[in-house]
Amino acid sequence: MRPDMPGPNVVLLTLSLVALAAWLGLDTVSLAANRIVPGTGYRVFDVIGVGGALATSLPWLALAGLAWRPARHRLALALTLVVLMLSALPAWLSLSAVTLVDSAQARLGIGAGIWVVLFLQLLAMIELRRRLDLSRLIGWALVLPAVASAGLCLARWLEPLALWQEYRGRSGQFLSAVGEHLLLVGVAVGTSLALGVCLALAMRRWPGVQRAGFGLLNVLQTIPSIALFGLLLAPLAWLSANVDWLAALGVSGIGRAPALLALVGYSLLPMVRNTFVALEAVDAGVIDAARGMGMSRGQVLRQVRLPLAMPVILEGIRITTVQAIGLTAVAALIGAGGLGTFIFQGLGQAAMDLVLLGALPILLLALLVDALLGALTDILRPGGAE
Amino acid sequence: MIDLIHVTRRFGAATAVDDISLSVAQGELCVLVGTSGCGKSTTLRMINRLIEHSEGEIHIDGQQIRRFREETLRRRMGYAIQSTGLFPHWTVARNIGLVPRLLKWPATRIQARVEELMALLGLSMEAFAGKYPHQLSGGQAQRVGVARALAADPDILLMDEPFGALDPITRESLQDELRELQARLHKTIVFVTHDMDEALRLADHLVVMHQGRIVQQGRPLELLREPADDFVESLLGGEDRGLKEAALLPVSQRMLPLGPRLLARERIGQRASLREALSLMLWRHAERLTVVDDDDLPVGELSLRRLVGARSDD
Ligand SMILES: Nc1ncnc2c1ncn2[C@@H]1O[C@H](COP(=O)(O)OP(=O)(O)O)[C@@H](O)[C@H]1O
Ligand SMILES: [Mg+2]
Repeated sequence: MRPDMPGPNVVLLTLSLVALAAWLGLDTVSLAANRIVPGTGYRVFDVIGVGGALATSLPWLALAGLAWRPARHRLALALTLVVLMLSALPAWLSLSAVTLVDSAQARLGIGAGIWVVLFLQLLAMIELRRRLDLSRLIGWALVLPAVASAGLCLARWLEPLALWQEYRGRSGQFLSAVGEHLLLVGVAVGTSLALGVCLALAMRRWPGVQRAGFGLLNVLQTIPSIALFGLLLAPLAWLSANVDWLAALGVSGIGRAPALLALVGYSLLPMVRNTFVALEAVDAGVIDAARGMGMSRGQVLRQVRLPLAMPVILEGIRITTVQAIGLTAVAALIGAGGLGTFIFQGLGQAAMDLVLLGALPILLLALLVDALLGALTDILRPGGAE
Repeated sequence: MIDLIHVTRRFGAATAVDDISLSVAQGELCVLVGTSGCGKSTTLRMINRLIEHSEGEIHIDGQQIRRFREETLRRRMGYAIQSTGLFPHWTVARNIGLVPRLLKWPATRIQARVEELMALLGLSMEAFAGKYPHQLSGGQAQRVGVARALAADPDILLMDEPFGALDPITRESLQDELRELQARLHKTIVFVTHDMDEALRLADHLVVMHQGRIVQQGRPLELLREPADDFVESLLGGEDRGLKEAALLPVSQRMLPLGPRLLARERIGQRASLREALSLMLWRHAERLTVVDDDDLPVGELSLRRLVGARSDD
């Protein structure tokens, strides 16, 4: 090794070898005769034989090789390779479908091997994006080929894919569930943002409010979500039975009202805490100058304190939203609707693919929101200031 | 112009500023000096009501400051502080235009004023107007801070250790610039510092504070020659007092007209201080210097005896 050559990239090396082991050792797909019966698993060489399996391990070995001597151009090559391999996963499913499926009822399940490999590939992409110093936006653009490939394969060859079948059986329901989910999250986050900012401002002004507020919110945060939904059931049921206009608004013991209340309750702490810390953390000298120059309190807040606190406040919104996307799934238990419905239905029917139909979009939504708000935070940092 | 009359400020049981009376005349540069915690900043901040005074009266142009709205009062006074307090999310140009914008000047007038001030403070428009504060050096940021304080052409300028965080060389050049600016603009300036050299360099009127009280005030030379007590004397540098005084006196005050003798080889400008003249004599082992004017033409001579001789004519 030449002295100026960097040492092996251990992360990438490990990822590629572990992924190779998972690829060869775990089931990549499973095949079931119909929706009810459990499927049989197929490893790579069950589908294309030992020779084929060895051939598919070549890209992994190449990746490991590139990780061994990670000069910049080799890392770029490695990234290209990972993107191609990611795009090849749907193709592998298609190949399995064409090779294995023999009846119209048969369903193809995605095996553990594929999930593990997918996960490791994404980790590898993140690692490479950081090493190569690429922007987040480029990072997201790099998944596009895989998305395109998945779309093409779904349309053309992946008719028997169980997840796809579950979706096609209830595509209308699926879309409205996504809508409900987003609505619940949006209303909960919006409400807690408005409340949170007011509360944070009040806390800055009156120290008493600060102690009481944080105490209450901390307690609220420790109640498990199911228990909170349960706790809200009785009082809300009583309210809707006794207060006509609330009932007319759709408030009842189960459904959206208690779900929203609980979601707002949980969202409030991270929102208030981040907003409060953000407002407090603004440089005292800047505020002193602003007031000394003759800005009114309102002007200082609107033109100086809030804009300077904005990146941290957005960080709070990001954390809260990602958390609310997950919690809303639980809210399906009390009939609030949303993607959680599929998860609990699927659990009830022991249909794992239905569970996935609920869980995967939740995961994707969380990632998407995380990325979008993260990007927004970056944009709002003025002139790249710290 | 600015009058503080028996002004006191308490924080709870502690008295930060204790019954001080002080007048700053129009066009005067008044420096408040003293050890840290003696109440200089509190005094300064009471003038623009960032801190309210507990007792006494503060007048601007004969009017009690409590008769103005706080914002109105502050927009009439420039304010510059050690940390600059520049808004990190605004460009240099926008920062400088802050007070004119608060005063609702038309955009073209603000633009013209910003350009004028940047030229005045030696900041080129192309290089700096669009920069953000974190892209500036300490000295540049402080220049922008001073430009911002001057933006709406206030009669009064309040400065709280504005050069305190700068390296000695940058600090001295900014001190010189402030003196030059002051000679041109004739603002009424209250300047806070804990650095006695800075205070002596800048002050028309020097105010020494100790534990919330004014222990002595007057012209720098008066204080140097007749310190009121040991505290003032030690603050003024004890053994260094002779040099500090010499630093305040120009060569032109002690020089004699050119005599019949040959011109001395070493030359010094008539605006240089006696301290610089003494240093040159020590360095060059010269007992006589030729004093020259701005065009380097001999106008007089200065001898060591004359330099250290009894003061008669200052
Ligand atoms: N907001 C405040 N609350 C309580 N005490 C204060 C406050 N501001 C200043 N002080 C006290 O007043 C005294 C004078 O402070 P200051 O005027 O800032 O001193 P200096 O500027 O001369 O260093 C110090 O003892 C300081 O602790
Ligand atoms: Mg101070």
